Amino acid sequence: MRSPEPSPAAGGRPVVEAAGVTKWYGETTALDRVDLVIDAGTVHGLLGPNGAGKTTLLSALFGLVLPDEGELRLFGRTRATAGAAWLDGVGGFVEAPRFYPYLSGRANLEVLSALDGGDAPSLVDHLVDLVGLGSDGDRKVRGYSLGMRQRLGLAAALLRRPRLLILDEPTNGMDPAGIRDLTAALRRLAEDGVTVILSSHDMHQVEAVCDAVTVLHRGTTVWSGSLDAMRGEAPDPVWQLRTSDDAAALAVAGRRAGVDALRHDQDGPLAVMAGQAALDDLVVELGRAGVAVRALVLDTTPLQSFFFHLTEGRGADPGAAPAAATGTGLGPRRRAVPSR
Amino acid sequence: MAARRPLAALAVAALAGLGATGCSSGGGITAAPIEASISHAFTNLYLLQQKDMGNPVPDPAGLHTRATCLKGTPADPQSGAGADWTCDVTFLVAGPATPVTAIYNLTVQTTGCYAADGDGPAPLNGSRTVTGPGYRQVHNPLWLIDGCFALR
Amino acid sequence: MTLASGAWPTFAADRPADDRPAAGGRQRGGSAVVWRAEMTKMAGQWRVRAAALACAVAPFAVLMAFNVQGATPSDTLFGQWIHTSGWAVPMVVLLWSGQWLLPALTAIVAGDIFSAEDHLGTWKTVLTRSRSRGQVFTGKLLAAASFAVVMVVIVGGASMLAGLAGGSRPLVGLTGQTVPAGHAAWLAALSWSTQLPPILAFTGLAVLLSVWTRNSVVGIGAPVLLGLVLQLVSMVDMPLALRHWLINTPFGAWIGLWTQPRFVGPVGQGAATSGLWLAVTVAAAWAVFRRRAIGAA
Repeated sequence: MRSPEPSPAAGGRPVVEAAGVTKWYGETTALDRVDLVIDAGTVHGLLGPNGAGKTTLLSALFGLVLPDEGELRLFGRTRATAGAAWLDGVGGFVEAPRFYPYLSGRANLEVLSALDGGDAPSLVDHLVDLVGLGSDGDRKVRGYSLGMRQRLGLAAALLRRPRLLILDEPTNGMDPAGIRDLTAALRRLAEDGVTVILSSHDMHQVEAVCDAVTVLHRGTTVWSGSLDAMRGEAPDPVWQLRTSDDAAALAVAGRRAGVDALRHDQDGPLAVMAGQAALDDLVVELGRAGVAVRALVLDTTPLQSFFFHLTEGRGADPGAAPAAATGTGLGPRRRAVPSR
Repeated sequence: MAARRPLAALAVAALAGLGATGCSSGGGITAAPIEASISHAFTNLYLLQQKDMGNPVPDPAGLHTRATCLKGTPADPQSGAGADWTCDVTFLVAGPATPVTAIYNLTVQTTGCYAADGDGPAPLNGSRTVTGPGYRQVHNPLWLIDGCFALR
Repeated sequence: MTLASGAWPTFAADRPADDRPAAGGRQRGGSAVVWRAEMTKMAGQWRVRAAALACAVAPFAVLMAFNVQGATPSDTLFGQWIHTSGWAVPMVVLLWSGQWLLPALTAIVAGDIFSAEDHLGTWKTVLTRSRSRGQVFTGKLLAAASFAVVMVVIVGGASMLAGLAGGSRPLVGLTGQTVPAGHAAWLAALSWSTQLPPILAFTGLAVLLSVWTRNSVVGIGAPVLLGLVLQLVSMVDMPLALRHWLINTPFGAWIGLWTQPRFVGPVGQGAATSGLWLAVTVAAAWAVFRRRAIGAA
């Protein structure tokens, strides 16, 4: 693994510092010497397949789970010294946010606001509108969809006016428009100086919003650093290519430097791994060779490729990550693409 | 688990206590406090009955009320709760100072409270109501005596 | 969704860079804050509202049933006087309800107040809000106790009100003495107030079961069952040294208030018994709760 790069935006101490955090559940090692440094005002992605330890790490940040080894600091404070004040300035949720079903969304927020000291009643109305619950805020939570509960969870977190916002898979159950708005909202919070930790199993989502990312796999940190640094290390993207003559196209591709191509099955598209320049050359060359390009579609972004590279072939969770990230229906085949 | 110990200890103590003593312990229920309580209650209620019936109310000290209580037969253990207590309550009727004995069947509870059901003589405690002034039927306070005494 | 375009609450910008608490950082009064939140949640539950309503109405229903039928519950202390003096009504209601209704009433809330967070999955929601476990525990315990006290006040108060109808006439006490109406009202109120210590002991027990089993069925059901079983057990003779320390014995401590001469020893003994039960159950509940891992895989 690599050390995280210092963020230019961080003037002072990192908001989150984890050093050697280890947690066992019986025989299972949920977290294995995890290090994590997150600077103020950044959106940090916590990425990993299901079961990688993301939720355990977030639970430890909230003090719901006590690490067996290692040290955790929020705003420079340890839990032992800060006591209940440890979570001051921290808002968010772990796993799907849960509420009292017999109360309305608004009443739930009022109860939580009361738990926080009750100085934010006007904020409740505001947040109900802000997260897009509108009139649903007066309905009992019993009837909420998962997406509505995620929105309420976000409102419950923002109610604390957090300087550190911790969100565990917040887009689960959300519609595409909701995801788009949330992404924009998180960027905006970061501009205000709020630090955001966003866990996800979806590289695509992390790419859209995060400044830095930590990849967990089987409880260990397999990569950590800025998104730019990750892009620098990422392999070329994978494209789906349909041509008038696949055999000829494969032969052409085979002669070009910087291009890997292969055919998964007789009727499917070719999978081509190439950088943009090499791909442009390939298309021109195919034209010269009399092979018509019928379709050329991006299949896997470089970071997705890199994420699979980091978390596949290491044994855990066979198929979980690519299945979650694929949008093309061609996911399983892509693994046959030679890695560089 | 920490929670289990005190609860279990209390439960064990309770069961051991129950088992060791069985039902033989009277729990503070003996003839003496019952006799004291029912004679006191009878006196009070006799005065109330006489008043409700429109008779002159006698001087309570002049009644010289005495109670003798027995659980089952004299051969039985004379302690403990049960529906087999009987009490003879004797008092002197005002005027000729004739002794009258009222009989009560008692159900004594482990709490130290009892219900004493009048069992004669019939005009005194045998019916739910008695005849008051103007032939009006009024509640007979001697028909059923509820009382309690301290367990010691 | 208007997340992207909405006007945002102020976040970090207006705050100094130091670690000033953002929300709810005050340590003192934290339990009161939890208590208030718990009372709000309680008021939102139909079960709680139904119990309060039933407690307010039941004494009047009892009175009406006897008046309509002309029946006399003469197998209960004071029952034979129910048509004579109104102050027999609160005492009959007390005798009927004390042993099992009051444990059931408090268990409705106390037996559920911790385990509900387990089955709703809301521990994480509660424990991520700057409140220590101690504050959450204390606040919930106080909320359960408040409910128990309020229920005693409601059912006791309602039965006193029901008694007010025939409340001008004297009541016969437990040594046959005539108790003037005003004094009888006072004694009835005192008798009801002696129900507070034992109901709080049952509250502690229900809280312990709720914390320990994380199961509301056990938390609510077991104290009710225990109340019923102990009512049967109490019918058996046993040494006073044992009877004094049963959790339900203090429900009957009031009888000496109604005798002549009065004996109030059981009231003091009952307070001690209830206090012991409360202390032991609450200590055990805290021992379990403080070490619990929330949401452990």
